Amino acid sequence: MSMLTATERAEITAVARELAHRELAPRAAALDAGGQDVLAECWHLLAGLGLDRALLDEEHGGSRLGVPGLLATIEELAVGDGGIAMCVLLCNAALATLAGEQLADVPAGARWALVPAAPGTELAIADGQLDGRVAFALGAHGADGLVFLLGGPEPAASAVAAGAAGLRLERDLAQMGLRAAPAASAELAGADCTPAPGGSGAQGAAVSVASAPALLRAGTAAIAHGIARRAYEAALEYAHARQQGGVAIIEHDAVSDMLSAMAVRLACWPQITADPAGLAVEEAQALVVKIAATDAAVASTTDAVQVFGGTGYMVGTGIEKLMRDAKYCQLFPEPNWLAHNELMRSQPAGRTAVKARPT
Amino acid sequence: MTSIAPERSLREQFPRLARRGGRLDVRELERLRARARRFAEVHVRPRALEIDRRTGEDPGWFDWDLVRAGGEHGMLSVVIPKPAGGMGGLATQAAVVMEELCAACPGIAVIFGAHALGISPLLLAGPSQWDGVLAELAGSERSGEPLLMACAITEPEAGTDVEDPELLARARITSHARRVPGGFRLSGTKRFISNGSVARWITIMTATDPRRPAQTWTCFLVDTRSEGFAVGRVEHKMGQRACPAAELTFDEVFVPDERIVGRDGDGAAATMMVLACSRPPVGAIATGIARGAYERVLGWLEEDRAARGLLGRQHVQLALAGMEEEIHLARQLYMDASIEFDHTALGGAMSHPAVRALGHVPASVRGRAPVRGWLASDRARDAAIALLHRTTSERAVTRSLALSSMAKARGGDVAMRVTGAALELVGLHAGPVRAELEKLWRDAKLTQIYEGTNQLNRLEVYRGLCHRETIGCLPPLRAIHPGTGGKAHTNTDARAHLEAGALSCASVSGGGGES
Repeated sequence: MSMLTATERAEITAVARELAHRELAPRAAALDAGGQDVLAECWHLLAGLGLDRALLDEEHGGSRLGVPGLLATIEELAVGDGGIAMCVLLCNAALATLAGEQLADVPAGARWALVPAAPGTELAIADGQLDGRVAFALGAHGADGLVFLLGGPEPAASAVAAGAAGLRLERDLAQMGLRAAPAASAELAGADCTPAPGGSGAQGAAVSVASAPALLRAGTAAIAHGIARRAYEAALEYAHARQQGGVAIIEHDAVSDMLSAMAVRLACWPQITADPAGLAVEEAQALVVKIAATDAAVASTTDAVQVFGGTGYMVGTGIEKLMRDAKYCQLFPEPNWLAHNELMRSQPAGRTAVKARPT
Repeated sequence: MTSIAPERSLREQFPRLARRGGRLDVRELERLRARARRFAEVHVRPRALEIDRRTGEDPGWFDWDLVRAGGEHGMLSVVIPKPAGGMGGLATQAAVVMEELCAACPGIAVIFGAHALGISPLLLAGPSQWDGVLAELAGSERSGEPLLMACAITEPEAGTDVEDPELLARARITSHARRVPGGFRLSGTKRFISNGSVARWITIMTATDPRRPAQTWTCFLVDTRSEGFAVGRVEHKMGQRACPAAELTFDEVFVPDERIVGRDGDGAAATMMVLACSRPPVGAIATGIARGAYERVLGWLEEDRAARGLLGRQHVQLALAGMEEEIHLARQLYMDASIEFDHTALGGAMSHPAVRALGHVPASVRGRAPVRGWLASDRARDAAIALLHRTTSERAVTRSLALSSMAKARGGDVAMRVTGAALELVGLHAGPVRAELEKLWRDAKLTQIYEGTNQLNRLEVYRGLCHRETIGCLPPLRAIHPGTGGKAHTNTDARAHLEAGALSCASVSGGGGES
């Protein structure tokens, strides 16, 4: 599989930036309100750019962005709306684990979602049928198909089409953040499924099942970073415009200190690197980046609301939404305290410190 | 649902309650706390999520049934003085109630908190303001058709800066009150006013000269049925949705002289006093939110199958211990600030024999025209202020304000940390408890913003405690007696006069005798 050149990736990233600014940001409030029509409208635009299949090769309708390109792209999309960026991540992660013949059955523009194994979730597969329950599957409501990562010592995944017998999805109406990626609970009672083979290059699949969780974590980090960027830009603009005590509020240390801390957190963002094939992120690096980026995003978006004061707390301004979206990044695919555990399990004695940016 | 029943009484937890002044009846406070807890468990907690959902869809929707239920439990008369038919509580009682209600639902609790905030300028202005509206409020609670109050300070172009005297001097005030025969006409817009769309009465702070807001800041009592008053947009908030926050417009609303709260131009000092009184309850709101999150996560860990084994993890144990620690400290801070305000800043005035004696005068007597006339007179207002100067000092109130600000700021941070940590412990797969924790996390953020941002509150802490400044927290004395020909004294002159014991006209008892 030949990858895009750096120039081509930069061009696609620029297109994503423009799309986020022009199309997504103006629709962010409607997406947050849970509008399915507006989601379909946005998805149509994204699919038109090939961002639903960014990891696949041209034979399967993909644009061969590779993981670094995908992450850079969804970061840009997240500046417009974190939830829609999450839809792109989940769809790419799901489709990239499918085999060539499975992809042939997926129509162009379909929205799929990868459902990671969650603590306490038990899914069992027998005779091509899946049983169990997933309490919270991000992006599953309204998706055309789902790929469930199965917990256990051996990485495995199963693909289920949305209309499959035995699958019942119920929308999670209480979902607080990333609402453009509508979540659902999934009941599986003998649901027809096919194994998603994974394995880089094997049977046409772009991403190995084993590396899919790392892709989700790295992608979530990129989304969190995009959300934090948006929060900083909005807060900085407001701090220059809003007057208090006869001066712009940025003149008050109480405000400029918060903005400075936001700027520092953004500057500490490590670019995520992938393997030479551009299809896998190292597990420990993904964990480190995910924890750091999502904690930073929660801190920055909370400060952004504080800079805006009462105005930022009101739904119409779109500032408090950034805080909710960032919080969900901190909790997905697992809460950060579990990510810390995972990180330490991957670090045997004698190992050198994890580098966020491998050399 | 795990509820953390107190292992120690309030008297054991806060010995200062029993030791200082003796004005506060600790057993009565315990009973009030139990009553608030009962109301929270029976009426508030079961409806919290549903009301949050409904008001999320329609911010103007309001649950009067809950207000009526709260009234049946006395939640609307906590800070109404006893002579006016209330419980006679101050910051401590308001704070204790707020923690209990907020552990169940901060949005619903703040309906009662904003009501108390609306009352507080009247309460702090002294006995001359207690009859009339406060008696009407207490009566409405007893009748089962409660009326609500609100307090309007924030403006579209001025939020934090109208809560600080230095910033107020340079604030962009757009509302104003214009002097007309017999009173004032109010014009302008107030924003983010909790209970603004449902209140019958609103205490509003505005300038009589917008070019000199700090010098002319004045508190008015506005009847929302007045011509020219209108409710604009009801805000769609991130959290605390059960309590509506509204934009209010005033178009030449007439307010008669007798509805000036305190005196014309005393609003900046009155605002400081109100904040010293209201910030400990905000600290309690935040503490209640944190406690609510802690109770829910603990209940989930102990009872939910999905959480099996997690309590054995050190990470979880350390997180819970950290929450317990933070909540304990936040409670200590708000109780300390409440007690300081009640005993040091205002307690002397409230427990003054003249004020207590007023409580024994039957309402029918107080309602008679001559008495009512005297109570509404400038002399009575001056007397109340003189009493404040006699029983406390600007330094004591500044210190109290700093402690209140500390409790508020720290409480808000604790609420954010504890709700955030609780949400992280349960994760996205936890089921119904997740929705409750997400709501509390959304609710918590507002406690870092309202009643002055945490940053402003910490600057108050610096000024009052680190730098030991004295802020103008008391309305200036304006003693008038025949020798001055009606000319106002300076504050210093009047204080000297007071200390010489010559200000017989400027005390409740003396003035009362004269009438």
